[in-house]
Amino acid sequence: MFFNSLAFAIFLPIVFFLYWFVFNKTKSSQNALLIVASYYFYSCWDWRFLFLLVFSTFLDYYTGIRIEKSTNDKGRKFWFWLSIIINLGFLGIFKYYNFFSTSFAQMLTTVGFKASPILLDVVLPVGISFYTFHGLSYVIDIYFKRIKAEYNFVDYSLFVSYFPLLVAGPIERATHLLPEVKVKRTFDFNQAKEGVCQIIWGLVKKVVIADTCATYANAIFDNYSSMNSLSLILGGIYFAFQIYGDFSGYSDMALGMSKLFGLELLRNFNYPYFSRDIAEFWRRWHISLSSWFRDYLYIPLGGSKGSKAMQVRNVFIIFVVSGFWHGANWTYLAWGFLNAVYFLPLLLLNRNRSNIDEIKLNWNWDSVRTISSIVMTFCLSTIAWVFFRAKTITDACTYLKRIVVNREFTSQYLVNERYNYEILLMIGLFVLVEWNNRTRVEPISGKYNTVKLALAITAIIAFGTYSDYKEFIYFQF
Amino acid sequence: MKNFLFFALKILILIFVVAVVFDITYSQVFLMSNNRGKIGYIYNSKPKEYDVVILGSSRANNHFVTQMFKDKGLETFNFGMQGSKLFESDLVLKLLLEKKNKIKNIIIDIDVTLRSKKNSEATILKFYPYLQSSPVIKEHFSSLPDFYLNQYVPFYRYAKYETKIGFREMFFCAIEKKSKEQDFGGYSALEKSKNLSSENLLNIEPKRNQYYEEIKQICKINNINLIAVMTPMCESTKGINYFEKVKKLYPEIHNYENVVVEDKYFSSCGHMNDTGARIFTARILKDFFNK
Repeated sequence: MFFNSLAFAIFLPIVFFLYWFVFNKTKSSQNALLIVASYYFYSCWDWRFLFLLVFSTFLDYYTGIRIEKSTNDKGRKFWFWLSIIINLGFLGIFKYYNFFSTSFAQMLTTVGFKASPILLDVVLPVGISFYTFHGLSYVIDIYFKRIKAEYNFVDYSLFVSYFPLLVAGPIERATHLLPEVKVKRTFDFNQAKEGVCQIIWGLVKKVVIADTCATYANAIFDNYSSMNSLSLILGGIYFAFQIYGDFSGYSDMALGMSKLFGLELLRNFNYPYFSRDIAEFWRRWHISLSSWFRDYLYIPLGGSKGSKAMQVRNVFIIFVVSGFWHGANWTYLAWGFLNAVYFLPLLLLNRNRSNIDEIKLNWNWDSVRTISSIVMTFCLSTIAWVFFRAKTITDACTYLKRIVVNREFTSQYLVNERYNYEILLMIGLFVLVEWNNRTRVEPISGKYNTVKLALAITAIIAFGTYSDYKEFIYFQF
Repeated sequence: MKNFLFFALKILILIFVVAVVFDITYSQVFLMSNNRGKIGYIYNSKPKEYDVVILGSSRANNHFVTQMFKDKGLETFNFGMQGSKLFESDLVLKLLLEKKNKIKNIIIDIDVTLRSKKNSEATILKFYPYLQSSPVIKEHFSSLPDFYLNQYVPFYRYAKYETKIGFREMFFCAIEKKSKEQDFGGYSALEKSKNLSSENLLNIEPKRNQYYEEIKQICKINNINLIAVMTPMCESTKGINYFEKVKKLYPEIHNYENVVVEDKYFSSCGHMNDTGARIFTARILKDFFNK
């Protein structure tokens, strides 16, 4: 059940109605309803994996309590590592086992041994990377005594399984979401209205921007060997907007529908393509994952403390692991590595936090420099996206090489029966709308709300892509 | 909560109004343009008197050279459409008659299309802009599974088939941008192929087809001479006896499967190139029109 499906358009109002009109008496009844709705939502993907979700929830719930109750360090460590090993074990088996097995067999073949990999015939459970990280952060926080263990199983289950964030995030923290689910929510009109606006804007990003860009990006990436330089450059740009529209659109919808239930989730995107350097880009892109890795990997490794060599090591670790989190493929590792390379000069020159202020443009040279920095950062991230999108690293390198060597900049007719440049105007308009609203969560609410709503609905109806139905990219992670 | 319910209602009304406005606008634009697709050409052109109308799939579209008919003084148009099945050919004929066109002869390609009774999703969408205004289309589509959604949910059909009849196509209709579909009297020439892969008809059985029966009936009622033909396939076709099975099932269908056989006349195994199509059309003109 996708957020942009007809089934979900029926499911959400039903849950909303039951939540505020039937199960609105106590916090427990509200939470119980959301749990049932979340499990139903998840079982629509594959009911068999519901057991895995429930087991993972129970494991972290139980180990959390045991860690807190342990009177000695040995006990605390035992329960802590048990949870970590089982959580990462599931992730390893379902997501990474086949990759490691294949890579190991290939390595053996390269050095002269004949080896065929033993592969598991398993499907990746949707959302496993997200709910595993929810549980991990919870257990780690208890172990380091940042939070108390949650004794109410329903409340804890809701923190892990809450349907808007269950399959593609944002990755919530117990410190943020648990306190919210522990109190009875009361209806707030303004919050709910904002929520609806955010859902609609998320839909614009998904069906108008992402899915439309996808038809062009797919046509170019899947046939890149016959594409000219202009098409290849545009293909990169289209994919950059596809992945942004797709994932940030999903996040917007998740945040928006949570507001309908009186819950505020962590912001996941903050106009990343207006970043002035890669460090700023990573403070604005998939914020919940970046901050997760910062808090649970980068800082424990030493973070920005210690020698420059240690700092460089930490940066490469966090980016490569972040890339690997996205999927078991060398292309994701290359994508993470490339971002680390981009980050390196900023780290060495101590300029990784030089762009933390708000972007302001005036008619002066500083603004020209700011715009150049934004364009440059977008180009760098788009080059990295080529690795993210390509099937193999060789494909990505050939794609980029062809941009340089082909040198033809004419319009091309693509297999989606469109010319390569046809959606540039739409992307330009989208960028303009985002730029004018870069200080706000979404552009619809506020002044002239009705007009903006009508325009957004018009865009969804008239310019949305529906025939070539696409699932959200991040569901595969 | 009351305020929110009003707000939600406002959005629902907005969605409905926008969908209705767009549905009407798109339909009106499609109804004004006659130079985009073949269906628009039928629907929006003045009634004509045709000596020959060609119906069928791409094997009709690529095999009957309209100009050769015209050169012999026969007013002809090739309404063959890529992917079309007999469901759509039947509808094209009904639509031509609904729009008061007069037809003397119909040439229809009937061979591999007999293997399936289903409609072609890729072709039926071309009729959807005219669904509300054509009783013939409405009746013909009434048995389709999502008929009620297409008929009664505003803008549903334009959203569902947005790649073919969405904003882009509507815009091109509005600015009267000509499509290639109507060039050369509807005939679409193919080029010679370097590598011809063989067609496999081994496991295909022709079946009696209700839409072909309907076409025969319509022709009989309207005094139209129906010429049903099987058009050529390449030499390496597997299961070529399929055409004999068709002949047994419908003896009135003329078998021209082996009139052109050499690979040099084909673009793909089931589709002749322009040279092959000209040889074949010349034979049809000689056999049926003494020209």
